[in-house]
Amino acid sequence: MPLNIDWKQILLHLFNFVLLFAILFFLLYRPVKKFMDKRVQYYKDMDDDANKKLADAEELKQTYEEKLSVVDEEIAQKKQDADLLAVKERQEAMDRAEKEAAEIVSRAKVEGEAEKKKIVDGAQAEIVGLVAKAYKKAASDPSAAMDVFLSEANEGKNE
Amino acid sequence: MTKKTKRVLLITFACVLAAILVAAILAPSVEKEETIQEAMSDAVLHESNRISLFGLEVNPGLISAFVITGILFIACLIIRIFVIPKFTLIPNKFQAALEKLVDLFGGVARDNSPHRPNVLSAYIFVAGTYIFFSTIFELFGIQAVTTKGHPISLPAPLSDINGAIAMGCTTYLFIMCGGIVANKMKGLANTLKDFSLPISMSFRLFGALLSGLLVTELVYYVQFLSIGLPVIVGVLFTLLHALIQTYVLIMLASLFYGEATEPHVKKSRKGKKNKQ
Repeated sequence: MPLNIDWKQILLHLFNFVLLFAILFFLLYRPVKKFMDKRVQYYKDMDDDANKKLADAEELKQTYEEKLSVVDEEIAQKKQDADLLAVKERQEAMDRAEKEAAEIVSRAKVEGEAEKKKIVDGAQAEIVGLVAKAYKKAASDPSAAMDVFLSEANEGKNE
Repeated sequence: MTKKTKRVLLITFACVLAAILVAAILAPSVEKEETIQEAMSDAVLHESNRISLFGLEVNPGLISAFVITGILFIACLIIRIFVIPKFTLIPNKFQAALEKLVDLFGGVARDNSPHRPNVLSAYIFVAGTYIFFSTIFELFGIQAVTTKGHPISLPAPLSDINGAIAMGCTTYLFIMCGGIVANKMKGLANTLKDFSLPISMSFRLFGALLSGLLVTELVYYVQFLSIGLPVIVGVLFTLLHALIQTYVLIMLASLFYGEATEPHVKKSRKGKKNKQ
């Protein structure tokens, strides 16, 4: 063969290269690559985990914000209800007070009227008594009767 | 260590070096067994200096290849047993270097063959490591004895045409297999289209490494040139060659593999009709 090309030696070189391939691949390349891939996976997992936690935290934050907004609405509603209730109760209290006041006034009026009537009646009775007494005295002693009448009339005035 | 001691050691070292140099120049040279023409011709053809491998006469390059495989096997075994189990998430310098090496080839594979980078990454890792170490192997000048009883220093395996052909053809077969797996017959046709690839790859490797070897042979043939100059020659024609040839082969393999494994997209006939 030209250039001393020898098929037997080419095949021996080929055998040597295949052998070397197996040695380098199994003893060096694969373990190193495996370790590198494992490390990449480790950091990827760590990254994924961190991202997941971040997403969870965001979701939780969103939930709490929603809850807070609901709570705010509830507080506003309750405040409004309380205000309405307070206004209603105040109105009722005022109505009740007015009603009571009206009752007291009317009762006072009635009582006043009754008292007035009683006084008037008492006075009338007294006057009638005095008149009757005066008449009797006048019938017996008209000047003394006049004096007694006048003195009693004055006492009654002083009282 | 005091300054005085340092000075004494330095002077002693310089004297020993000078003595060795003088002895090397004055010592009678062994008569050369071959002329420069014969040495150069043998570096290319390996017709006279052959080595016995279990009774089979082979080129020295094949022995170099087996020696390199042995050395790499031991190194990998040590790394696998003592280093890799102690890998940590935050790497130390050696771990970082190993990871960088694997990632470097992985990056080349991903860039040039984005559809099927995994197998390519492993292949170019092995091929690159082999080419690099087999090229710098000749720097160490490991000695072997030829069948004629002459001592020779083992050359780079890929400076042997058989080693270069094996490497080129293996790479071509790898690309072809990748093409078939990815695109079936279309992938096969795609690879067969570049039928000159194994030849060009083989002879590129052979030529590049042989040129370095020939220049080194020339330099070492003349005795006075072998003082100091081999350092420069060694760096230029061995270390740079190792890096450049590794880069060239892995880039070629990646590019052609990427092309062969690229998913085949069928052109729709409607589109063609519309264009017409």
